[in-house]
Parts: sequence; structure tokens; C-alpha cells
Amino acid sequence: MPILNSVYRHREAGHELTDIAAYQAAGGFAALKQALGDMEPDDLLYVFHRSGLRGRGGAGFPMGRKASFLPKDAKLAKYVVCNADESEPGTFKDREIIEMNPFQLIEGVALAGYAIGAERGYIYIRGEYEYQARILEQAILTAREAGFLGSDVVRSNFTFDITLYRGAGAYICGEETGLLESLEGKRGQPRLKPPFPAVAGLYSSPTLINNVETLSALPPIVTRGADWYAALGPEKSPGTKIFSVSGHVLRPGNYEVVLGETTLRELIFEHAGGVREGQRVKAIWVGGSSVPVLGEQHLDTPLDYESLNAVGTFLGSGGCIVMDDSGSIVRATLRLASFYRHESCGKCTPCREGTGWIERILQRIVDGDGRMEDLELLESIFGRISGKVLCALAEGAVAPIASAIKLFRADFVAAIEQGGSPRPEPMWPASPAEAR
Amino acid sequence: MADYAPVGTSVENLVTFELNGRAVSAPVGTMLVDAAYAAGVEVPIFCYEPRLGPPIGACRMCLVEIEGMRGMQTACNTLVAQDMVVRTDSSAVKDAQDGVLEQLLAHHPLDCPVCDKGGECPLQDRTFKFGPGKSRFIEPKRHWPKPLELSSRIALDRERCIRCFRCVRFSQEVAQDGQLTMQERGALSEITTFSGDAYEARFSGNIIDICPVGALTSIPYRFVARPWDVTNTPSVCGLCPVGCNTELTTREGELKRVSGRDDPNYAVEEGWLCDKGRWGYDIAGSDDRLTTPVVREAAGDRTAKLDDALPAVASLLRGRRVGILLGGNATLEEAGIALDLAASDTLPGAIVARLGVSAAVGGNLRAHPGAELGDIDDADLIVVVGGDPGSQQPVTELRVRKAKRFGASVIGCGARPHSLEVLGDFHRTTPGGLADAIRALGSRIADATTPIVLWDEADLAADPSAAAALGHLLADNDHARQITLGADVNGAGLEALGVPTTGVFEAIQDGNVDALVCVQADPLSASGRRDWAEALEGFAGPVVAIATHASPTTVRADVVLPAFTMWEQEGTLVSMTGRAQRLRPGAAGPSGAAAGWELLVAIAHYLGTPPAYRTAASAFAHTVATHPAFAHLTPESIGVDGTPIAVRAAPAGDVAVDSADGDGLELVTTHDQFGDTATAASHALRTAFQVPTVRVHPQTAAAYSCEDGAQVVLASAAGRSGPLALACDLRVPAGVVIAPLGAPGAPTEGALPRDNRRVRVGLERVV
Repeated sequence: MPILNSVYRHREAGHELTDIAAYQAAGGFAALKQALGDMEPDDLLYVFHRSGLRGRGGAGFPMGRKASFLPKDAKLAKYVVCNADESEPGTFKDREIIEMNPFQLIEGVALAGYAIGAERGYIYIRGEYEYQARILEQAILTAREAGFLGSDVVRSNFTFDITLYRGAGAYICGEETGLLESLEGKRGQPRLKPPFPAVAGLYSSPTLINNVETLSALPPIVTRGADWYAALGPEKSPGTKIFSVSGHVLRPGNYEVVLGETTLRELIFEHAGGVREGQRVKAIWVGGSSVPVLGEQHLDTPLDYESLNAVGTFLGSGGCIVMDDSGSIVRATLRLASFYRHESCGKCTPCREGTGWIERILQRIVDGDGRMEDLELLESIFGRISGKVLCALAEGAVAPIASAIKLFRADFVAAIEQGGSPRPEPMWPASPAEAR
Repeated sequence: MADYAPVGTSVENLVTFELNGRAVSAPVGTMLVDAAYAAGVEVPIFCYEPRLGPPIGACRMCLVEIEGMRGMQTACNTLVAQDMVVRTDSSAVKDAQDGVLEQLLAHHPLDCPVCDKGGECPLQDRTFKFGPGKSRFIEPKRHWPKPLELSSRIALDRERCIRCFRCVRFSQEVAQDGQLTMQERGALSEITTFSGDAYEARFSGNIIDICPVGALTSIPYRFVARPWDVTNTPSVCGLCPVGCNTELTTREGELKRVSGRDDPNYAVEEGWLCDKGRWGYDIAGSDDRLTTPVVREAAGDRTAKLDDALPAVASLLRGRRVGILLGGNATLEEAGIALDLAASDTLPGAIVARLGVSAAVGGNLRAHPGAELGDIDDADLIVVVGGDPGSQQPVTELRVRKAKRFGASVIGCGARPHSLEVLGDFHRTTPGGLADAIRALGSRIADATTPIVLWDEADLAADPSAAAALGHLLADNDHARQITLGADVNGAGLEALGVPTTGVFEAIQDGNVDALVCVQADPLSASGRRDWAEALEGFAGPVVAIATHASPTTVRADVVLPAFTMWEQEGTLVSMTGRAQRLRPGAAGPSGAAAGWELLVAIAHYLGTPPAYRTAASAFAHTVATHPAFAHLTPESIGVDGTPIAVRAAPAGDVAVDSADGDGLELVTTHDQFGDTATAASHALRTAFQVPTVRVHPQTAAAYSCEDGAQVVLASAAGRSGPLALACDLRVPAGVVIAPLGAPGAPTEGALPRDNRRVRVGLERVV
């Protein structure tokens, strides 16, 4: 199945759409005009609902349903918050939207704002995206000057504006309640739920929080219709999804495909150019690093929420990390464990202490000090984290590690028995800097 | 108490659910963890503490299984629901508890044998009760330099910390001092202040009480005692009129610690103490503590034993017309015995009076329905009229902040800038403007459903028109209740006993008494001390002082009888909200001293008229039996938590004139609990001491050719103050000078009149 560039409109256009005139020439802001011109907010909400669009940030919760949870009669102001804290390892899809097609995101945020009755949207962008933040800031300014944001959006009496907020570099601030805490100026730590953000989110007000890709998918849904979107791909998870393919592939990059109509094999071998000559696929983290790992035997799985669930993993954020058989799964797992230990916010006990414990055990195994009972111990620790933590971070830490030990147990046993896991040969010769 | 829940918890609103196979009922809005506890099932917790606000679910210790819900749920934030099926005793729950404790202890130093918390440590107790018994953690432990001084009074051991966030939440949510935070993240998270400076705040010590491990310990208590060789006594704090319930920790007859009670008194302090109440007990051992009786004779002073000094007192008083002057912190027993001796053959015709604020005007306001601090929780409007509760009745501030957190409005007026003003609309009044400012609050009070008015006793006693205005507002709303922000520790009790504020001074002046007994009273440091000094200069009769600490009065006295402090004696105090509470001794006093009531009884013995009572209990019984306000009081009815007494409305009568005397600036006083003589005498509180200053607006200072930091004297018709440092404060209204009461040396009292009238002063620069 070919690529369908619905969110990546710039690819369709063949050039970047950072100029507002170029974006409008490519059909931009038609959706906003249409919605504000002849749609009631509830109609728009219903369009989102019927499209079947699911959250593209990782959890895959139906966007229209989430928006419908906001109380209609709330006395407090409502907010739209866009999660642009793209921190999931292997995920770089939102970055391209912001760099190449920022107005589509702005249009999407405004559409969501109109649908829920918000007057203010926030885009929370990760601190490391400094360049992208500047582009987005400029785009917001331009959109405001052009009358697509501000006190009277496209002369419709709809007031809506967007504030860009830069994070300070924490993975946990991609978790929606951690993001809201950070946005409020507090320490970035997830909140206890319920209440969910739809009821008490930013400043305890009803808040709709969605990923960049989700919100950017809204304008085409409005212009081309919910039926068009719902007809793309499988019934339960329709639409297009961007996969960021990285790792041991020849053409790493972003690929927007129709869900269910592309297999993992097609994504890796046709779009991303496959692995190097003479190598085989060893492991695939298909939805970012926080999902259970897949092996070569899973390559023919169609890329959609249900099919991936059926093989025990998640579509996640679509950050597809590929490792070929030159790599060490034990070392890769340790690397992930280190990441999650480093990013654990420290609020809840199992994550704060458990991630560090897992890392130390894996480090011992890599260093050749592993014990056979460590594998059992690890499994016990996983069981004492999973389902017992405050947010999804630790679940995401356990999933790839637990699945790696299950799927590639022989590799771990070998590392324990053979005194460690040696550093693999680098894919490319070391750079002068690395050689030093 | 489920005070986190906005839902009313009445017996009509019960839900029934299944807990470990049996049916349990609990009020709607109860958290599962509390409902289970009430049903006798302990769900272990660390971070959960309802007094700190909504649960945060951080420690994960309270995981339980609920049928129909995926995974495990934290009982701390799950509300009970009808027909909910809960298991806290399954193997899955046990495994979860093992898991959390194993992880909490993975890096914990397990140094319980040398830890102050050992033996009274929730982490230790729950590990024994719910933990796995052994650890599978073989990695090297995380180490931190230890301990850090979070302040001069609080030690922080980061190795023991389990990151439950209780202390941070206390600082952020309860005290709202904005100081404590967690820095770094993950396993490296550590408690610190935002600025990195010491945690200096008025309520900082409470974080020690709520720390569930040995991470936060009291430096004065460090390595001082172990839980198994101490006794703990429930008592009450006698340092200010709030009357916070405390627990005294005694080892070998010495008081080693004062802390909030594990089972707080929600009607009063809710378990929170101010740092003065917590650490100020070392003033019982300060340098100026009186430990030996002194008898002054022509040949010179001689120290004596009580057995010698008491007959000397008796011979001085025998046949003389005696005036007995009580201090504001004299207990009910001391006052009751004094009144009894005056009414009996012991000291026939003796005149009894007290130092302090006349309640003639306040009495009328007191006649309106009263509230306790705990009632503030349910108020929708809190009105603060005059005063400076954060300085003068510190813990009151926390209760008002709590109400604000739960949605109440806070408004008020008064001349002093103070800590509660940030919570709502406050009108800062200029001289003579209090009554108008009170009237301006009228519609807010009238429209409120359950308003509570906190009014400053001294301010309104000095301004009858303001008191009258407030009386009208209280009368207009049937649901309005009032709390007296009292000035004296036992002022409400002495008032209820009918001890007047006048009589003794006048009798001295008129030559109607020829011996003076000061019971916990120091007239030479009180308001109008110039008048007292002049009166005592010309007073030929003997002066007997029953006192805990040296003072100008004990220096002047002919016999000094050392008395026990509030930490060493039994007695009854009535808080500013009218709650009778018991002092219970947590330390043996000096061998040369005795309780004040005991000394009065002994004097009666040596005068040849032994009273019928000779124990604290019988003195109490005699006092309450002879005073109608206390008729219902028994030791049992007071119990450990105290009980409200019937409030006596004083008849409206003579009141001070309604204008300040003389020209110049209106003198407004504040007794900062952290800037007074007691705090100055405490070693533990040395970094908490607020240097007393005179505050004026910069323009006022300029008008008197003074600048910030200058030494000044306040001069009024009543006298001159001692030298004080001037501080310019933009928030002080023009025409007002705010001066410290009770400061070391009692400088301000020199410029004050004896009867608490408003007074005008001039500023004089000291060269």
C-alpha cells in the first residue's frame, strides 16, 4: 500500500509549508473556515467522534470520546493542550510536522478548541526542540496576524489563541498529567487519576489534551469528511499513522501509512529500505521503546492497533526501532533500563526504586556477574511494578525488558553463562570523536 | 477524620460494602483506607495524610484488590461505594505489600539501632507487620552524606527518606510557606528548600511529626532518648492562648521533647504546633530560671529553702491587707485559690486582680455564639478583625489557610499588615478607622451562610465604637459565630472566674493594701510599667513574687518563691475559644520550686488556716465547685482533649475612652510569639527569634527624621519606651506605629497606659 500523506501535507505538496500562503494554497485553513462558518461545536465534536480517530501519542484512546468527556456546563474555562513533548525513544514524527507543516497543527488545535468551547490552547513542546519551537512560535504569530487566531478567528466571533510553552527536558512531562503539572509551573510529576484531565486538568479546569499528530489529523477529517477517514483501514482503528523508523535500516525516516494496510515487513523493507546486506532483523520495538519487543517472526503483522495487540505489543507512538542480528539484545535492554531509571520522576515507589534495581541487575549480567536466579528475580520485580504504579512510565519500562527476556531468553542465559555480553561491532566505523 | 472529603459524612449517608468477606458500613465520601481502619482492618500507608490535602498515591503501600477493577487500587484515594467488594488479605495484596516494602528498603540504611525514630517508626512497624521479612536486593546501596541540617532544629537524613512527599506537602499546602520542595528526580530525589537556605518557618517542626521514617528528626532531641525509656504525657501548650494539645516526652524526670499528638485534637490545633510550642520548652532551663527561694533582708539577700521562705512569707503577710496580682498565664487553680484565700480567714479582705486586657467590651462580643478553631473548617466566610493571628496566635493561621484551601472566603480589616492578608480582601485601617472598616464588611457577613469572625481582644477593647459596630454585624446574622483572638494564655479562664483587671493598682495608690503578692505576674514589665514602677517605689509593704523566671518584679520582691513552669505542673487553662484543658507535668521541676497553687496552699498553712484542699485535684474540684461557669467541669469531662466552658458575658460598663490620647502617631502593638522574652530565652529557637522592631511607613519615618535601622524611643503621655530599632514598612498605614509587645526588656510597655487605652506617641531618635 502506498503512502497517504494526510498529516504530512507538505510531502503531498512537495515542499515545506512553513509559509502561511503556501499552506493555504495547499488547502490549509479550509477546515477551520468551514467549521466556524457552518458547524456547531457539537457537530464538529461528532465529526471527530465518527472519524474513529484514535490518539496518536501512544495510548490510542478514541479522540472524539475523550473530547466528549469534558463537562458541557462547566463554569470554569476549558483548555486544549497539545502534547508536543515528543520524548519517546525512536519517535520523531511530530518534529517533522512542526518543522514542515506547523499551520496544520495550529489549525487542528483551533478546531479542537472550537469543538470543546475553549478560548485558549497550549502547545507544550519538549525543551530540546528549540529550533522547532522557534518555527512554531513564528507560525503562531503569523496565524494570529492572518486572523486564524485571536479575538475574532476568521471573523466568526470565535476567540481562540495558542500559547507555546517549552519544557525543560523530562520524559515524564510527556505523560499528560505530568505535562499539566509542568505547564502549571510545578515539578513534572504525574497526578493521581481520577480526576482525569477532561474533568480537572490544567488549573483544575476541564482540559482536552492530545498529541501533535492527533490534532494535525483533524483538518483533513473536517474537509474530507469523517466518512472518508473512517473508511481508511480497519473499522476499529481507521486512518493514517506516521511511523518513525530508525535503527539498523538503510532509509530511516518517517512514513505515513494507512493503518491495517501495511505490514511491519513492508514498512521496514519497502519503505525504510530494509536491513544491511547479509543481516537479518533481530528485534523490533514497533511503537517506541515502551512496548513489548517483537522478533523476525512477527514481520508479517499488519500495522494497526488490534493486529499488534494480537501479537502482544502496542502500536504506541509509532516509533519503530529496528535492530539487526549484529546487535546485542542484552545490552539494548540494559540501555532501555538505564533510560527509564534516568527518567523516572521518583513520585511512586515501584518505579523510583524498581527501575534502578532492574538496571543494576542487567548491568551485572552484561558485566558477567549475572546469576541464573536473576532472571527469576527480574520477573518477580516486573510483577511488583506492573499494575501497581501511578502512571504508564514504569509499565513502559517493564514491557520492553520483560518481553525481551521472554522472547530472547537464550541470549540472556548465554550472557549469564558466558560471563557477560560483549560490546557489538559498531554499524559504521567509529567517528574520530568516538575513537578518542 | 475524613476532612479531605467535600461530601458531608452523616450517619444517614451510609454505604455498605464487602471487606475481606464481611459487610462493612461507612459514610459516603469516606476513603477506603479510613473505612477499613474504622472496621478494624489496617491498610498500611506512608504518604496518605488527610490533613495535608487530597491524597497523592505516591507510596503505593495501600494497594488493595477491588472486584471488577483492573489491577490493584490504592485505598487512599478510592471512595467507598455501595456493594464494592474489597480484599486486603489476598496473596496478591500481600505480594504487592512485600514488593513496595522491599523496594522502599532496598536503599534504606536499616540503621534503626542508632535512629531516633527507631521504636516509634511507621516504616519499622509496617515492615514487621506487612513486609517480606528478607530482601533479595544484593546491589550496593545508595549513599548520601548524612545528616544535613535542614535548619538549626531539623536534621535531614536522605538515606532514610522514602520520598513520601509529606513534608513538602506540609510546606506547600498547610503552612504555605513555599519553602520545601523535592529536587533532582527519580531515586536521586531529595528534600530541600527552593533557595537552598535553611528551612526557617514558624511551623517547620511539624514535618518531623509527620515524617513516617527517620529522615527528619529534631536536632535538640537527637540521640537524647529511645522510645522505650521515655514516658509520654498528653498536655497542653501554655505559651499562647490557642492552647494547642501537645505530648510531652519525659526521660528520667526531664522533659526531652514536645510534639503534636498522634491523635490530634481537631477542635483545636489539628495536630500542628508552632515551633515555639514545640521547642520553646528549653526556657524552663534558661539562665534566668528561678530555682531557689530568695529572701531579701536588711543584711542582704539570702537564698533559702522553701521551708524557710514560706514561713517568712507568712509572717510578712500576717495581719496585713494583701493585694494579689495574677499574671495572664496563671492557672484556674492558682486563681481559684487566690480568690478563696481572699474570701476566707486566711487573707481576709484581700484584693485579687489580674494583669491583662479588660474584657468589659469584649465580654459583649463574647456573648455572641462562639466557635472553636475546628469550626473554621465549616465556615464559608472567615472575617479577621484587627490582630495579627499569625504572630500572636500562630496555629490559628493554619486553620484559616485550610479553610481557604477548601473554598472559604477570607476577609478582614485592621491596622497591622499580617500573614493572612494575602488570602483575601483586607482593608488596612488608619487611626480611628476601624469601626468604619468593620461596617464596610456588613454585607459580606450578612450574606454568608456560616461566617466566623475572629476578633482581636485588645484592639476591640480599646475601641468601643468598633466593638459596637462588630456587635451589630454579629447580631444581624443568626449563623454568625465568633472567636476571640485573645491576648493572655488563660485570659478567658480568669475572666470566667470573675477576676477583674483593676483593683490592686488602685488599692496600692490609695494606700488600701500593705502587702502585694504577684502570682506569675510581672507588673514591672507590663503595660503601664512606669505607673507600676512609681507605685511600687512608694510602696512600703512587702512584695512577694511567685514566678518561674527572674524579672524586674522578682528583683524588686522581698521574697521570691520559684514556681513550676507549664511543663512541670498540673493545672487547668482555658483557651481563647473557651476550651478548658489540662496541663500535665512532663518534667520534675527544680527541687527549690513548687507549683504556684501549691505555694499558695502552703502560705495558707503557714498562716495557720490550712485549706480543705491539698492536692491539684482537690484544688481543681474546689475551684470549679465555687464558680458557676465551671460547674459542669470534672477531670473526666476535660479528659485529654478538653471541653468548652460556658462563656460569661461581662456587663457592659466602664470602657476606655474612644480616642487616643495626645498628639502623634497611633501606637498599635503586636505580640510576636517569635519576638518575645520567652523565645529570646530559648536556645533551640535562636535562629527563629524575630528581632523586635518598630514599624512605620517610610514617610512617617522621614517626618520624624528617622531612617530604617535607626534606634528610636516612643514617647507618650503614659511614658517612654525603651530603645527599639526602626523598620520601614510600606504596608503600615500613615499615622500608625506598630510596636512589639512582650519583647525582651519590655521596651514598648513603657509607653503604654495601664488600662489598654489607645495612645498616641512621638518618635524620638536615640543618638
